[in-house]
Amino acid sequence: MNLDWTVAWQYRFMLAEGVLVTVLLTVFTMAIAVPGGIVVMLARQSRFAPLRMAGTAYVEFFRNLPLILLVYWAFYVLPMIVDIQLSPFATGLVALCLNVSAYNAETFRAGVNSIRRGQHNAGLALGMSQWQVMGRIVLPQAVRRILPVLASTWVSLFKDTSLVSVIAVGDLAHNALQIRSQTFRVLEMLTVMAAIYWCLGYPQAKLVDWMHRRFGVSE
Amino acid sequence: MTAYARIGAGTQPVIVYHEVVKRYGSFTALDRVSGQVNRGEVVCLIGPSGSGKSTLLRCTNALEPFDGGRVLFDGVELPRAESEARHVRRRMGMVFQNFELFPHMTALDNVAVGRVTVLGEAKAAARKRARSLLAKVGLSDKEASYPATLSGGQQQRVAIARALAMDPEVMLFDEPTSALDPETIGEVLNVMKQLADEGMTMVVVTHEMTFARRVGNWIIVFDHGRIVEEGPPAQIFDRPREQRTKDFFSHLGWGG
Repeated sequence: MNLDWTVAWQYRFMLAEGVLVTVLLTVFTMAIAVPGGIVVMLARQSRFAPLRMAGTAYVEFFRNLPLILLVYWAFYVLPMIVDIQLSPFATGLVALCLNVSAYNAETFRAGVNSIRRGQHNAGLALGMSQWQVMGRIVLPQAVRRILPVLASTWVSLFKDTSLVSVIAVGDLAHNALQIRSQTFRVLEMLTVMAAIYWCLGYPQAKLVDWMHRRFGVSE
Repeated sequence: MTAYARIGAGTQPVIVYHEVVKRYGSFTALDRVSGQVNRGEVVCLIGPSGSGKSTLLRCTNALEPFDGGRVLFDGVELPRAESEARHVRRRMGMVFQNFELFPHMTALDNVAVGRVTVLGEAKAAARKRARSLLAKVGLSDKEASYPATLSGGQQQRVAIARALAMDPEVMLFDEPTSALDPETIGEVLNVMKQLADEGMTMVVVTHEMTFARRVGNWIIVFDHGRIVEEGPPAQIFDRPREQRTKDFFSHLGWGG
């Protein structure tokens, strides 16, 4: 078999661009889906029944659809419903945010429910409002507790961004597969792509583990 | 009434309970409980576990919604709406059995957070106040410590300082020493006695009979969600009138 690894070097700028898009997609998705997850979680915990039902419906809908379907849906159907043409990048971002917000909402809900009722009461007894108790007492503790879960969501997300390559977003997967089809260097490009994903993903996972040790609070 | 003049008698009580009823399903935790707490008094609620004394305490600052009757604070009925309850709660300090310090904050910030969040005070001013309160409970050297690194007695003293930070008109103690190791109970009771000596109005749910007798001015005995009897400590501890009070003391091994 005749292998030619120089193809990766030849196309290094295209690969680098793909890496940049993948990283940006991950960062933007999480930057939106963390507050998004909190909002959906608060809706699910609301004392107002319609809001609670809306939150639950959101989570159950988006959590149980394959992400790739969401990506296609955002690309083909969304522009028909709302009259705006988004760039492929923004379309991919929407699909990812819808999905990850649903997961984050469940993660936050588990975290918030794990904080015992007494903490809530201690805040209320000082005269705090429900919102202040949530913001100052419950959420900060919950976030520390769920950091490992958010971390694995992050690492999954980093890899799952590759699904947006199907709508021609120029991420790492899309660019690598483009190079493959132009050069016919299948084994080389798939291996290089795997190596890049792994090399980028592993330190992220380690970093979040470290954050957990650093910021984790014991009782 | 006997010849005993209750502290604050004749003035408007800080807290009035009027026929308070609380049910959990078919279980009646409070069965038309009436009573009062006067300004400057240390009222101790005693009685067997599950007799309703902690429930009444939690009804006092509306942490526990109740099913019937009224609670008046400073002459005004407790609001039923959660959004208004907080204006009353911040005028009462509460100390919990399990301390419930905020584990993600230092001792200093635990004490300061109420003033910053609820009163909107600047952080520096709130911390200054918190420092003097930590000094008051003898924990000046622990201001940078997180709760997990403190002993139970130290945590409870921080919790007392946290409640005091809001300049409460009354302090509510819910079995403040029940979760403590025996050797740290004394340091918490000493802080509470100091508060009582300063004239703080206190409602204390406790199993510490020695404390109730020496520091309390008025003792209320609970059983099965009702007040069995109430009176000054000398009367309750030395000459209890009710058989159920005597039974309770004999269960505790307290020679009545």
